[in-house]
Amino acid sequence: MTAGFPLDPVTGPSRILELLYNMKVRDVMSADIKTASRHSPLRDIQILMKENSITGVPIVEGSRLVGMVSMDDIIRALEDGRIGHPAESGMSRNLIVLEDDMPLSFAISYMEKYHFGRFPVINKNRELVGIITSRDIIVHLLISINRELEQLEEQDRAPAQQALEGSLNRKWYTHKFDFEEAGKASTEIKKIMKEKRPDIPPKLLRRIAVAGYELEMNQVVHSEGGHIEFQLDADAAVIRAEDRGPGIPDLENALTEGWSTANEWVRSLGFGAGMGLPNTRRVADEFTIESDESGTRAKAIFYLYKSGEE
Amino acid sequence: MTYVKLQELIDAQFHHRCSTWERGNITNFVASDLMSDVLTVDDEDFVLVTSLTSDQVARTADIVGARAILLVNGKQPQNRLIELVGELNISLLSCKERMFKTCYILGRALSEEGISL
Repeated sequence: MTAGFPLDPVTGPSRILELLYNMKVRDVMSADIKTASRHSPLRDIQILMKENSITGVPIVEGSRLVGMVSMDDIIRALEDGRIGHPAESGMSRNLIVLEDDMPLSFAISYMEKYHFGRFPVINKNRELVGIITSRDIIVHLLISINRELEQLEEQDRAPAQQALEGSLNRKWYTHKFDFEEAGKASTEIKKIMKEKRPDIPPKLLRRIAVAGYELEMNQVVHSEGGHIEFQLDADAAVIRAEDRGPGIPDLENALTEGWSTANEWVRSLGFGAGMGLPNTRRVADEFTIESDESGTRAKAIFYLYKSGEE
Repeated sequence: MTYVKLQELIDAQFHHRCSTWERGNITNFVASDLMSDVLTVDDEDFVLVTSLTSDQVARTADIVGARAILLVNGKQPQNRLIELVGELNISLLSCKERMFKTCYILGRALSEEGISL
């Protein structure tokens, strides 16, 4: 991560990453926005900025965003003697906008990438619903981090649970549409297996990795996010995938090859072909799945010393 | 088929060489832009031919044990993909030819080496 925002949305602590993905732009933005029309003189906008201590004013037509006038635009207009001209003559038109249901991590990467002080926020109908500044992000993050820390301190006082003798447990979190991180859990599961059980057949290793990857991608593509748990015992490896919903309305269909509810965007990334769950069931020695609105819970079991596999 | 031969046949460019690429003997290719489909293939040690350039191409290749990725259609990998194949020790090549022509040339060369598809 570049200097500036000291919170790394990729390698930061998992509690913080959870926050960055669970908090949405709409939770942090200011919904009380001062706007102006394209015909308002730049001078009026300058006054609006001064009176409200703000540094940018969205220019709207109804609820549609058509431009943005920033402090820089005002200064330029003053220099060129255009301060009496209408907003549309001095506004920026090529706007970078955020959507209200994007995770907060998006807003942070945008701040880093574009170096604007603020971003207009639009909803699904492309209407202007708010504005988000780095200050908004900092304030809300501090509040949430405080809350998390309190919880952690609380937990610290509780006695730590002992891990089972001889077995290994690992857990990874997945986040909705986070394709950059997706696949890390299965890559690590493969690594752990190679390290701890170098004697297991390559085909079995591959079956375990494929199941992990399919379940992980399923969470990223279809759920609100969740976690992947890996348990390695003496004679079996178990992958558990639990997400936070919205659940699979028709499990029977979801287990049918080719049936998919993924959108075009997901498909353009090479996924959502409707093979995930059927493929997981195919490669696992045992596979169970249950789903309701609160989430989907899947479990794939692999027996490590079944004979006959190369 | 060696990687040198593959490179000559389709005028491919190396972006990353895995640690064993010189000893590599390619006997199989899997061509698809759907990583979901690649995950259902039971073959091993193949070269993944695709025009997708997302990180998931490298992840998928690693999960199914592919030895190399060949990007077709003139697609160039982003730095992230190059870094990731480095971490996962997978070779990465690209060529300008389209998917079908690439597959045709490589398939013909494999048959000439006596490998039935």
